[in-house]
Amino acid sequence: MDKIKVEDLNCFYGGQRVLESLNINVIKNEILTIIGPANSGKTTFLRTLNRMNDLDANYSRKGSVFLDEDNIFHMNMEKLRRRVGMLFAMPIPLPMTIYENIVYAPKRLGIANKKSDQDAVVEQALKDASLWNEVKDRLDSSAMKLSGGQQQRLCIARILAINPEVILFDEPSSGLDPISTAKVEESMIELKKKYTIVLVTNNVKQASRVGDRTAFFLMGKLIEIDKTGTMFVSPKQKQTEDYITGRFG
Amino acid sequence: MRKTIDSIIETIIFICGILSIVFVVMIFGFLLKEGFAFFKEFGVISFITGKLWYPTSDPAKFGILSLIIGSLLVTAGACVIAVPIGIMSALYISEIAPSGVKDVLKSCVELMAAVPSVVIGFVGMVTFVPLVRAVFDIPTGLTAFSGSVMLAFMAMPTIVTISEDAIRSVPWSYKEGALALGATKWQAIRRIVLKAAMPGIIAAIMLGIGRVVGETMAVMMITGNAAHIPHSIFEPVRTMTATIAAEMGETVRGGMHYRSLFAIGLVLFVITFIVNFIADLFLGKSKK
Repeated sequence: MDKIKVEDLNCFYGGQRVLESLNINVIKNEILTIIGPANSGKTTFLRTLNRMNDLDANYSRKGSVFLDEDNIFHMNMEKLRRRVGMLFAMPIPLPMTIYENIVYAPKRLGIANKKSDQDAVVEQALKDASLWNEVKDRLDSSAMKLSGGQQQRLCIARILAINPEVILFDEPSSGLDPISTAKVEESMIELKKKYTIVLVTNNVKQASRVGDRTAFFLMGKLIEIDKTGTMFVSPKQKQTEDYITGRFG
Repeated sequence: MRKTIDSIIETIIFICGILSIVFVVMIFGFLLKEGFAFFKEFGVISFITGKLWYPTSDPAKFGILSLIIGSLLVTAGACVIAVPIGIMSALYISEIAPSGVKDVLKSCVELMAAVPSVVIGFVGMVTFVPLVRAVFDIPTGLTAFSGSVMLAFMAMPTIVTISEDAIRSVPWSYKEGALALGATKWQAIRRIVLKAAMPGIIAAIMLGIGRVVGETMAVMMITGNAAHIPHSIFEPVRTMTATIAAEMGETVRGGMHYRSLFAIGLVLFVITFIVNFIADLFLGKSKK
């Protein structure tokens, strides 16, 4: 079943077209990984899915994106982002304590008003992001003091706390060491039981490790999309083969 | 030879570098010397808590409480006006204004900082002072309130430019992070951007206050210069700075009156030092 359906999406920055007539779908509870060299439009695509790009005055778009049955471009932006969470390339904890980072959004959205509810949200989110054991004794210390990998998992916990339907990962491990990367990947695989995940990555191996399906973008076009296993063993397009075998990019 | 030139240049740079320290120490030393000579005769407590300032009567009275209150009142009034407007305009410039408007606004604010204070005082005297008198129906428009408004104009450029710097240096990613969690633009600004920029904003306020406390010309022209303890902001007051400026020319060098003005300078120096120190504390904190 399709969770997200993209129909004839074109995106522009200034006058330049960065995504060209894109048609793609994301199936419920899958991890769709998107690979491609720089300027392939993969991040633009991701940031269109929760309309982060709408903040940029130079950006414009045509086409439609459906989340379940709703066209996201007709939705209230804040409501959309509550349903479609996003994890950025650099871990960006907000400048507050670990606890406050996680309850920030639920409190504002009115999901957790009582202290006991908030405690429960924080504990559950941290456990789901497999960070609970490392920070449970210092929830009141600043989130800025955590290590890079811990910060990234805190950011995951922060998204889980608002219980979205889709989570977008924008190169979540580009700033992390291999061990932290492995932990983030583990939690991704754990998370797809409950959530639908779209992962943009520069790391082709990461795509092969966690993706159910993989899409290859080049110069703003979708070149190929297939089951990850199939694509990495027998890509249909020459360009895809060149990229995943490391001949360019 | 090259070594000699090197060391000469090094020495010159060193001297230039420590010049400001030397000046501060010398000014402070001079103030201390004259001020202490005064305190020895008159006493610190009776100087600061004395209500009457009659430096030329016989016997002379050197109580600067009314002057301190005058300075504080004008400064506090200026802050109440300049701080909210300054912060909001900094927010507008850095977060909301389209880029064309932003550039114009920024240059205007910087231009405002360049207006000499005597011009602000003069313009205030002929336009704002009569207005205050008419609107509030009081005997004179030369009041603490008029001074506060004019000083607010002077503090605003400092507050706006430095807070704008602080707000702009909040990483874009903080805001993006908040927005991605479903915050509205205003929520992201209020809870995240303002919070992260707060040390810088407080430093901006302190530097603005520093400017206002030390301001002389405009307050001398607008506040009425009556050395009495005011009961409301719609009465004339006299500030410490205005007292020094107005009376220094008429004193006998080395006399009690002359020295008392240095003592006032010392009090002012201590106040601005404390304000600047607080600003530095917060500026240092925001850099971390």
